[in-house]
Amino acid sequence: MKLRKEHIHKIAPYLWEIPKSFAPNKMRVPARILASEELLDAIMEDRSLTQLINVASLPGIQMASLVMPDVHEGYGFPIGGVAATLYPTGAISPGGIGYDINCGVRLLITQQELEEVRPYLEDLSKELYRQIPSGMGKGGNIKLSFNELDTVLEQGAEWAVNNGYGVAEDLEFIESKGKLEAADTTLVSEMAKKRGLDQLGTIGSGNHFVEVDYVEEIIDEGIASTLDLYKGQIVILIHTGSRGLGHQVATDYIRKFIGSMHQYEFQLPDRELACAPFNSEDGQAYFKAMCAAANYAWCNREVISHEVRAAWKNIFGTEVPPLQLLYDVAHNIAKVETHKVSGKEVTVIVHRKGATRAFGPGSPELPDKYKTIGQPVIIPGSMGTCSYVLVGSRISSEVTFGSCCHGAGRRLSRTAAKKQVNAPVLKQKLKEKGIYVEAGSFKGIAEEAPIAYKDVNLVVETISDSGIAKKVAKLRPLVVIKG
Amino acid sequence: MKIQYVPHTADIRMKIEGATLQDLFKAGLKGMGEILKTGLCERNTVFNIRREIRISGADYTCLLIDFLSEVLSLTYTEKSIFCEVTFKEFEAYEITAEIKGVKIESFEEEIKAVTYHEAQVEKVKSRVWKTNIVFDI
Repeated sequence: MKLRKEHIHKIAPYLWEIPKSFAPNKMRVPARILASEELLDAIMEDRSLTQLINVASLPGIQMASLVMPDVHEGYGFPIGGVAATLYPTGAISPGGIGYDINCGVRLLITQQELEEVRPYLEDLSKELYRQIPSGMGKGGNIKLSFNELDTVLEQGAEWAVNNGYGVAEDLEFIESKGKLEAADTTLVSEMAKKRGLDQLGTIGSGNHFVEVDYVEEIIDEGIASTLDLYKGQIVILIHTGSRGLGHQVATDYIRKFIGSMHQYEFQLPDRELACAPFNSEDGQAYFKAMCAAANYAWCNREVISHEVRAAWKNIFGTEVPPLQLLYDVAHNIAKVETHKVSGKEVTVIVHRKGATRAFGPGSPELPDKYKTIGQPVIIPGSMGTCSYVLVGSRISSEVTFGSCCHGAGRRLSRTAAKKQVNAPVLKQKLKEKGIYVEAGSFKGIAEEAPIAYKDVNLVVETISDSGIAKKVAKLRPLVVIKG
Repeated sequence: MKIQYVPHTADIRMKIEGATLQDLFKAGLKGMGEILKTGLCERNTVFNIRREIRISGADYTCLLIDFLSEVLSLTYTEKSIFCEVTFKEFEAYEITAEIKGVKIESFEEEIKAVTYHEAQVEKVKSRVWKTNIVFDI
């Protein structure tokens, strides 16, 4: 049956539901969409909701398959999706995490202000571009041996700190402190390891970036003060993941699960949903390999921060106060967490694919400094628009398994964006607005142009009005580095 | 052989056709090379990097996706783009092939993965095999 708007019921402000009865032979739970009506109409323009309905068929899925307001069509699972399955017997699906395992964002803060930095922006953009390799050919500046790589996979961001590429104080401010203990390097293939040997400290291409922003507006003074954020302050956003190593781990295990799924008698509408029971040998093998890839990603973002810090010193000298990490959060990951389902505490395997963890105040996962305010949630917009810092709320645990959106969400295909955008003209226009863009190609700039994305303000407004997370600060870009 | 790119919100959706199954696999390889570096596979290039690969899968769809995934992995470890393939064995459902490519300095696009989503290798009429392939970008 073709999905039409009359099949979707509003069950709460900003929360819509496609009931199980829409596809009773397929859906084990309803499918829910967190969106304003305007965003829901936009979401219905691609195949996101068909994919969301398919996700509702995952064995062991609890409450509902969910999408955030920035959702867009993916491959198998939609991007901007959350699915929680019952621990320990429910399914773990590598496609529900995505190929870029632990793709995520971090925000570094400076103690410098806009006017102090503005004269140096063009030089800063070139220096950042020089310091941070894209890894789109030659690889990065660090060449690891297989033994060293295994240590990275075990230690995560800690490896960077122990080897002179990171700052010990950062670790406290990384989701899971930058290391998942369950990582098992013996479950990561040799091919995946080969691909990871020379990619630490690289951003890759697509929507990955390093961006220098300034705090344009403080929305919640009290929380901003706890986060050490203030108006006019210069901050740096980093968005990337586990690079080729993570892509290969996902490829290996999706292929393996397609071959082994019959033994669990799982019937799924899309091969990209391939899964295994979490507590099966297959399920545990993938989970432990995924943890290793997630550790690589945290180490990667820590090394990139080291490169940003080096660029900063080269431009501003050694006298300026050091850059501090505000927070680092994953948006492609599976975690075992406890949430409220129909009023009861249930332990679940939460799959977040293009969705950010958004834990509320009091969570034991939070650093002491943020215990009373909730977990920082960093939502990048697109180059030329704006980004937001929010904090998670307690309600998120009951409504979205402690999750919220991860960005603005694409609305135009790469082909359409390239047709509509003249990249050299866009680069010049952004420069006239005071935004310096350095990218590996004009094609990359066109594909990631602001017009290709939804209005981040609308997406964040929905999140904030629904009570899932609270707006704290709005950021504006000054320098954008792309692979 | 036909290679066509059709819109997808975030990734790349490719439609390919071949007169035979082998042609379809060749179209997939060339189409993937075109994404990694525009025009490279069309140029009069000497493809001096040769690698042999052996793949087996549950059906022709898995075989094609797994073949392209294997080539993609080699693309990154060898820093090479592979444009041509000669099949030494092509059976249901196992292939042994020699792929030929060329070293490159950098990629224009980074493909994260060749996905199974929407892939369905089928013979639609005499001498027409086709499928969609969605690449994660």
